[in-house]
Amino acid sequence: MLTRLPYRLQIPLGLSMAVVITALLVSAVTARHSAQLARAQIMSTVDRTEFLIAAQAPPLLAADDVWGGYTLMKATAALLPGAQEGLSRSAILDNTGKVLAASDPVRLKTATELLNEPSRESYMRDESSLQNSHQRFHDDGNLVIVNPLRSEDGQVLGFSYIEVDAPSFAIDWLELVYPTLIGVGMAVALLVPAGWWMGKRMTRPVARIASVIAQIGSNGADKLEEGIPVTRDPELARIGSAVRELVRETRIRKKVEQRAYSAERLAAIGRMTAAVAHEINNPLGGLLNVVKTLSIHGHRDETRASSLALLERGLQQIQSTVNALLPQARGEQRPLTVIDLDDIILLARTSAGSQSLEIHATTDIESALRVPADPVRQVMLNLLSNALKAVDDRGVLQATLQADEREVRFLVSNSGTSMSEKVLERILTAESGTDPRGFGLWVCREIAIRYDGGFRVVDDAQNMTQLLFWIPNVERYETPLAD
Amino acid sequence: MEQTRRQFIRSGLLLAAPAIVRAARMELKIGLTPVILADQAAFLARWATYLEQRIDAKVSFVARTEYQLVLDQLFQREVHVAWLCGYPYIQHQARLSMLAVPLYQNAPTYRSYLIRPRESSISGWQDLNGRVLAYADRLSNSGWLVAQAQLKKVGISPQHLRKSFFAHGHKHVAESVASHLADAGAIDGYLWDTMHKQKMQAALDTEVVWRSTAFGFPPLVNLRGEETDVHRHLQGTLLDMHRDSQGQSLLADLNLDGFVAGDPSRYESIRVMAQDVANSGLID
Repeated sequence: MLTRLPYRLQIPLGLSMAVVITALLVSAVTARHSAQLARAQIMSTVDRTEFLIAAQAPPLLAADDVWGGYTLMKATAALLPGAQEGLSRSAILDNTGKVLAASDPVRLKTATELLNEPSRESYMRDESSLQNSHQRFHDDGNLVIVNPLRSEDGQVLGFSYIEVDAPSFAIDWLELVYPTLIGVGMAVALLVPAGWWMGKRMTRPVARIASVIAQIGSNGADKLEEGIPVTRDPELARIGSAVRELVRETRIRKKVEQRAYSAERLAAIGRMTAAVAHEINNPLGGLLNVVKTLSIHGHRDETRASSLALLERGLQQIQSTVNALLPQARGEQRPLTVIDLDDIILLARTSAGSQSLEIHATTDIESALRVPADPVRQVMLNLLSNALKAVDDRGVLQATLQADEREVRFLVSNSGTSMSEKVLERILTAESGTDPRGFGLWVCREIAIRYDGGFRVVDDAQNMTQLLFWIPNVERYETPLAD
Repeated sequence: MEQTRRQFIRSGLLLAAPAIVRAARMELKIGLTPVILADQAAFLARWATYLEQRIDAKVSFVARTEYQLVLDQLFQREVHVAWLCGYPYIQHQARLSMLAVPLYQNAPTYRSYLIRPRESSISGWQDLNGRVLAYADRLSNSGWLVAQAQLKKVGISPQHLRKSFFAHGHKHVAESVASHLADAGAIDGYLWDTMHKQKMQAALDTEVVWRSTAFGFPPLVNLRGEETDVHRHLQGTLLDMHRDSQGQSLLADLNLDGFVAGDPSRYESIRVMAQDVANSGLID
């Protein structure tokens, strides 16, 4: 519980808890000591009271002076602990154990036999018992002290009797704990703000490091390094150094990724160029034959006209193929258009070469396209290239471009082996690079992440693979990382 | 020079004469027994001043908790006047002369009460068997003699009481009963009424279960045949106290109406009762 709280709360709470626990321990020890001390004080008071009674009671006993005895008992019993609460009382007894006078005549009635009561008969068990002092705690915890009162020649005239009830010996916890509570309150009042300040001061570098860690991957690396605090604390210094290293490695990794991304783009262009070259080469052979025919039979109008028409169609085919490839190579910063999809489909068909594939493209555009053309074209090309590899000669590919106010989605379906989300994840995280599909798909996911979108397998596709890429339909162009 | 010294001494003596006269003034000591609430020093000082202004004597009160001590002081001439109970007056009537008798409720009489703690089951003398009884003084009519006569009347001897004791004064009797030190107490009715009127806790915590017939109120007495002008002045002053406001104020504090000369025959009922009580100590 406590460990889930921030340090600026943990520290004052921890300090306060330490104070409270210490106070409780000290109170417990003090209580034990106080109890012993209080008991000793009670016994000392009782002894002094008994001494006073012993000094003044004999003449009263000799004169059978009940009133005098009563006034003496009232005065001396007031010294006893708990007298005001009626928890203690004293009496003068005659030599038969009867009460001459008591401080509390209601409980110790005048002229009643006190020492011969069943609970106290042991005090007068025999002649020797009369001669001795008795001080004992009864089963109920009450203290009873009986002392013989003697004449000057040693004759027992009667007894002094003191009774202190058990609650008088009880510890007054409130009185005992009260100063401790005041001390704890003052300590907590001091420690909470001090602990708060200390906690905040201690955790400020940690918070700054945490902030830097949270920003890794989003902000510029140089700014992040500036945010790492310089501290003399060895532990924090080690953490700061590690984070600095992490920022550096992240920066390097991003550069590597950018290079990989560029390499993949160039590789894709290379693959396309090879296919295009092959595609151009076929009409070029026909065109050369037409030129040869034109040079031999060009004087005939019919032949010249048909040859020029063949030349025009062939050159237009070459021009459209090259036009589709050019934006891919340029890396233009402009919004995506539907023509881009047409270009990619054309390039895909060109790449398919002699395969008897069905490649269909549909669009569902409800809102203006604002997303950058270059990365989306890269994604479309990668997904279609991947789909071409996944299908056999008679396969079917379906590419769909959708857009609304919120996002732009590109869905590619192929009739090849069905791919699950797990398989896609394994392909994306494979480090060996043996899977030829891995890098292109990984680039798609990185672009999706970079543009706050997503990339996943559509689960409900039956007997086919459907890969969905989407990003928010917002204008956003990225500056390429410097090498 | 010698003439001058003599004139100086003569003039000095003339100047000192009034002080010497005042120093020669008689000091009148009045012994008080617990028949009044005599432990109020401020009141006694006021009363002494009042008397001094009227009898040309220095007045002081000597309060004792036991009747016998005051009686002894009177016989030893350590006090000149004693405020005694009617019972010792009867005992020593031949040696004593009545100076004045207080008027209580416009009569020179008072009664004895039997009191009990509030909510006690005691309803009269007959219930005292096995109980603790507090007396005021061995020489008190209301606080001992009346109780002896009543116990005898209901057939309870002292042995039938669990305990009896003297509380050294009527006020202490009330306090003994209120604190349950005693189950009941014999007390001067005038004093209990006065304590109750003054809302003293001991009176408020007790209640009267029996009242006696009227007896002659405790009188102020002096030794017979030793009366002086100061005695006569004191008597006149006491008898006239009710006539001036200062005297009325003092009488109100005493819860009395005034003083009268007194009639010894009013105390005969005490004598008759004492003759019927064993160990009453009646000697005259």
